[in-house]
Amino acid sequence: MADRVILTIGTKKGVFVADAAKPRRNFALRGPFGPGVPVYSTLVDTRGTPRIYASSCNPFFGMKILRSTDMGKSFKETKSAPAFPKDDGRALANIWSLEPGAGKKDLWCGVEPASLFRSPDGGDSWEMVPGISNHEHARKWSPGNGGLCMHTIVRDGNRVHLGISTGGHYLSEDGGETFTASNKGVGAGFAPDPYPEFGQCVHKIARHDDAPGRLYMQNHGGWAEWTGPGGPRPGIGVLRSDDYGRSWRSIAEGLPSDFGFPIVVHPHDADTVYVVPLEPQTRSCPGAAPAVWRSENGGGAWNRLARGLPKKESYFTVLRDAMDIDQLKAPALYMGTTTGQLWIGREGGEKWECLFDSLPPINNVKVAVV
Amino acid sequence: MHLPGPLRPYCAGASELSISAPTVRAALEDLERTQPALYCNVCDETGKVRRHLNVFVNADNVRDLEGIDTMLKPGDVLTVLPAVSGG
Repeated sequence: MADRVILTIGTKKGVFVADAAKPRRNFALRGPFGPGVPVYSTLVDTRGTPRIYASSCNPFFGMKILRSTDMGKSFKETKSAPAFPKDDGRALANIWSLEPGAGKKDLWCGVEPASLFRSPDGGDSWEMVPGISNHEHARKWSPGNGGLCMHTIVRDGNRVHLGISTGGHYLSEDGGETFTASNKGVGAGFAPDPYPEFGQCVHKIARHDDAPGRLYMQNHGGWAEWTGPGGPRPGIGVLRSDDYGRSWRSIAEGLPSDFGFPIVVHPHDADTVYVVPLEPQTRSCPGAAPAVWRSENGGGAWNRLARGLPKKESYFTVLRDAMDIDQLKAPALYMGTTTGQLWIGREGGEKWECLFDSLPPINNVKVAVV
Repeated sequence: MHLPGPLRPYCAGASELSISAPTVRAALEDLERTQPALYCNVCDETGKVRRHLNVFVNADNVRDLEGIDTMLKPGDVLTVLPAVSGG
């Protein structure tokens, strides 16, 4: 079978799947699946026979995991969804991240209130991971406007990086048994202490296999003008680590804003990284003129990519999981907006084109070539 | 117990279940034992009725009665309905 580019689009009203042949000229759209129910996380699992997973976050009837074994032509609920133990006292409020684990059918799932679950069987059964879910800090984390969410799971062998809003970055070096808050250099603007041990509002973390010690982080920026206790905190929004996440430094210089949600690394170049700077007040691009910004030297300098995007009067937000990049030789970026447009940025973001312009508000976009 | 359409797939398509219970709480406990997949849709892990669901005894919301401790008598109709929602 010829390679297909598969897009999963998690929206306020269900999950859509779009696919195209490798030139990516015409994407066919299917869905919504789980109609009417918000989807915050999707996963195209390419281990073995490809499967697609989507969280279906039903505000009435609770959380479900949907699974497709026919590349998004149909979805069924898995036999169970993550759930806290009965005596825990917490109740699942949302499912924010789905990632493949080490075993062929292992899945990891980050939820709200911030906790981690694992499935050994492709989502049919789930167990809470106590090392982080019952961490001594867990009951001290507090929700931001989006809820207390564990939105990022980055696995690298026995290292596991978690992003929690608002909890910060947590690192495990024993495969997820134990976790340590690892936020040296990660600023917080919403507390008197600009550099607390934990409690930062991390928005997204990304890495590349070719630069094993390096991580990029989009943190909650927008605090350069703060004049209260602790003083201004310029540049805390876009960060880089070169020691496996033990310490972080700003790479925000040159960006029009250090606030934003997604951060994405080029599939073939660990030095090339993309962000979508937003004005902190409106959560829209500066000047209402959308643009993706790219660095080709690991955050040392940035340039603006906006060819084909609206030039004015655009107030959408690109949420933390709403941008991804495919693995093809000349990769394309995919960006979903809160106003329901799905954009493709061909040639690594050089040329933008709207694939679908009237979807429901988009929470999540993932891409895979299968 | 009368069930709305979205919940019927979790109890083999039934639109009604017959339950013998002295209170709403006891009816939900019966549901947990006999229809666990359905129960998960009605109550969260802590045992609370999900926030955006309403439970009625006949025409009255249990919120206006004694909550889930509302007493039941033979022939009462328990209805689970989702609250209204926006766009």
